[in-house]
Amino acid sequence: MKPSLLEVDDLAVQFGGQSALVRAVDGLSFAVAAGETVVLVGESGSGKSMAALAIMRLLPTTARITSGAVRLDGDDLFKLPEYRMRDVRGAAIGMIFQEPQSSLNPVMSIGAQLGETLVRHLGLKGAALRARIVEMLEAVGISDAAQRIAQYPHQFSGGMKQRVMIAMALAADPRLLIADEPTTALDVTIQAQVLELIKAEQKRRGMGILFITHDLAVAYQIADRVLVMRQGRLVESGTREAFYSNPQHAYSRQLFDALPSWEKRLREGRGPSPEAAEPLLQVRDLAIEFPIRRGLFKRVVGALRAVDGVSLVIEKGRTLAVVGESGCGKTTMGKGILRLMSLAGGTVEFDGVNLASLDVATMRRYRAQLQVVFQDPVASMNPRMLVGDIIKEGMLAQNIGASTVARDRRVAELLEQVGLERNHAERYPHEFSGGQRQRICIARALAVEPRLLVCDEPTSALDVSVQAQILALLRDLQERLGLSYLFVTHNIGVVAYIAHHVAVMQNGRIVEQGTVDAVLHRPRHDYTRQLLAAVPLIGHPA
Amino acid sequence: MHPVLLKTDVLFFVLLAALSVYVLYARRHEHLCAPWRQVARQPLGMAAAVILCCYLLIAILDSMHFRAALPAAGEGGAVYSRDLTSVFDVLVSPLRTNVERTYSAPFAAEAYAKEVVELADGSNERAYPRLEHGGAHLRDPASERGADIAARLIGGIALGSVLTLALGVVMVTMCARGADRTWAATALRMLRGDAAVPWRPIFATAGLLLLLLGCAIELSPFYHVFGTDQVGNDVLYQALKSIRTGLLIGTLTTLVMLPFALTLGLAAGYFGGWVDDAIQYFYTTLSSIPGVLLVAASALMLEVYMSRHGDSYASLAARADLRLLALCMILGVTNWTSLCRYLRGEAFKLRNVEFVEAARAFGVSDGKILRRHILPNIMHIVMISIVLDFSGLVLAEAVLTYVDIGVDPSMESWGNMINGARLELAREPVVWWSLCAAFTLMFVLVLAANVFADAVRDAFDPRLRGAE
Repeated sequence: MKPSLLEVDDLAVQFGGQSALVRAVDGLSFAVAAGETVVLVGESGSGKSMAALAIMRLLPTTARITSGAVRLDGDDLFKLPEYRMRDVRGAAIGMIFQEPQSSLNPVMSIGAQLGETLVRHLGLKGAALRARIVEMLEAVGISDAAQRIAQYPHQFSGGMKQRVMIAMALAADPRLLIADEPTTALDVTIQAQVLELIKAEQKRRGMGILFITHDLAVAYQIADRVLVMRQGRLVESGTREAFYSNPQHAYSRQLFDALPSWEKRLREGRGPSPEAAEPLLQVRDLAIEFPIRRGLFKRVVGALRAVDGVSLVIEKGRTLAVVGESGCGKTTMGKGILRLMSLAGGTVEFDGVNLASLDVATMRRYRAQLQVVFQDPVASMNPRMLVGDIIKEGMLAQNIGASTVARDRRVAELLEQVGLERNHAERYPHEFSGGQRQRICIARALAVEPRLLVCDEPTSALDVSVQAQILALLRDLQERLGLSYLFVTHNIGVVAYIAHHVAVMQNGRIVEQGTVDAVLHRPRHDYTRQLLAAVPLIGHPA
Repeated sequence: MHPVLLKTDVLFFVLLAALSVYVLYARRHEHLCAPWRQVARQPLGMAAAVILCCYLLIAILDSMHFRAALPAAGEGGAVYSRDLTSVFDVLVSPLRTNVERTYSAPFAAEAYAKEVVELADGSNERAYPRLEHGGAHLRDPASERGADIAARLIGGIALGSVLTLALGVVMVTMCARGADRTWAATALRMLRGDAAVPWRPIFATAGLLLLLLGCAIELSPFYHVFGTDQVGNDVLYQALKSIRTGLLIGTLTTLVMLPFALTLGLAAGYFGGWVDDAIQYFYTTLSSIPGVLLVAASALMLEVYMSRHGDSYASLAARADLRLLALCMILGVTNWTSLCRYLRGEAFKLRNVEFVEAARAFGVSDGKILRRHILPNIMHIVMISIVLDFSGLVLAEAVLTYVDIGVDPSMESWGNMINGARLELAREPVVWWSLCAAFTLMFVLVLAANVFADAVRDAFDPRLRGAE
């Protein structure tokens, strides 16, 4: 047993006043040794980020530490005065946050931001400072570092920014690194690189890492030990091997069961390749452009092709998944098919009618046939409307339902169909959890009896266990109502679990498509192989 | 008595009716109630609200105009006075009717300047003549005045305390009935500050106002508390009458401004493209013309028009009223650009939010999307800007009237009082009370409005709510 670098002892954090007290962290104890990576796993609201902020003494003002001690190499951090704590932050403990965008100051150059830490903690100046900055940027894999230190955050991509954040966190050679969901906002290929980088730096420096994530597969890639948190409490802790081969706590097992995967699909007895069905939607050479405007009168001088000649087919009662990294045009394509965006070319043939050629009024009638479920269940509903009115909106716009009474009855049916209760129609969206809200969004889409549902990342804002419920609901609705889905996602596990066909998209084009079995297990295109290789898998250390 | 509704009275009452409709509507909608409940929990904000209510009450009373019946009416029907009187005038009638000949200092019993007085023996002497009303009940002002004022002050404080107690009893009784608690328990809760609403500051502010009222009731029939102006009118009366002008400017201007800002801002943000370009060019052009210049030009045009058509107005008051309304309109037309810009930005953001796209995917028409999805989600900005703009507009009136392009000189307004003070401050000895009275009342109103606006913004601004 190595001596502990960080010891957290019976930590408790509370939110709110006496009337509405929330225990964000409740009696949390663990230790991190030098050179060890401890991963804190949990769903949203489990208190894992609060625990990290409490260790750094950076809690929001409404939260307070009510008991416990945090010792770094034997020093009790809670007893240090604030000015000594500032030396601890950055110098002894480095921290990386989830959003590289908002963690970097947009008006300071990368070099200046990195330099701040070095000046503060190491007292470097002039040429030595500059040399050190370049050296550090090179260490995190940024090429042409000498030129790039004068650049600003907006000139860096998301993955590059996260590398800069890592360089900043490591600048003063901290003994402990706290990484709070550092890869959640990144694409899988970038995520793999960032995880690799963190591991390499740890090996070189021998620092301890407290890594926070909601993703069990990412945890597997990096952990020495795993701690599972739920509602502020530690429910299980163990070494990686023990935890992944034999999770002890029922909650941990539930998390594993919820993970969507090919294996789960087979377990549930759904075959890999369904027999072919009639096509419902045929997209040919679809192109969508964003005009580039210049000058006083904003003349269109050029166009950015977001979707470039996409052709695909969706069969009746089947699911086509479109996978790709962020910015590849998959969401834009979905909106183009729904005609929420103007098309630059191509045809969208829905049940024999070319939607692309319809005028606005005729298209309005067809809108009942194609519906959409968005990614963010919070932004998808008008916060000022009752759930019942939200569901009724489409029916009113499409003249469905003979009377108010009939529509109210339909709302009640729909709510029950998606697993909610009738009286939920009388409430406002904010009274529901994320998963429940997504169910309401599905009910709203179903209200106009569509035949095709475009699901734009419908589960990526949800926790794993809620995601499993929503996926099960979507599958169930497909079986009962014969719906077709166009499922836009970046999550390969979800694709493997729910899709019948897969199209892989890169830079606005489809590089490969076929049945789910063929694409996932016998990929032909290089990009597909690269994408699949980057997906973190439990049981396959990278 | 023949009731008269001036144009601004009508608009003011329409505004009050709209406010009551909003209150009734908000009571049934949780998302509208919640921020107001939060406003009601802020001690400073509620104290400001009490003061604002007091001003509002005066303005309402002062907006109920009528023509009094003349006593010499024949049998053929009542004859009405040409002068307009308001309910407020009747309530404070000693203030209105106790008119001196010229300046007199606060609480004075004698005029401010020496005049030639005829003595009992027929000889003339330059002396300070006694006032007709101020301190007229005293036999020897020099010796009696101090004691008399002190006695009346004590009386006033006693009256004020009684009124305060009465108010407290009423408030506790109403709360006890609403909350279904015993009277004593409710009183204890309110006094201890355990209730959600900060009753103690509300009660303290109301008490202070009632004490002032008590003193005013005791003193003002016998003295000019704030002195008199050049033509002998009571300054306190003028300052109080100015409240209506100030409030009208602050509220009616908003009423004029809102339709422009709402329709143009929403249209620009939601439709984008050439609509946005056109509206943007329009308001950037308008906002680059100096505001005072525009106001001056319009005011002068209006003045020319009014003097040409002098006979088409029923009375001087009606004419002054029309000029006030015109000023509100001019201020409204020149002031909508900043709110419009905010609303454009917000509508632009909302246009791409997913619930709007979902509505579009249902084939909901643009008009309905604007009404049902965009408008309710920008109302907080409108609310915040109404209360924030209010105090600025009250001050704008004073400034514009000072440069003679504001309200009619015959109308009581703080601007006119300050404008008059320009000469009063230049004479020797200085007449300071007009300016002081106008300043005090305006300052209290603007301060209360600002404090209240802060409370409203804290409750309504989602960004501030997130930062808690």
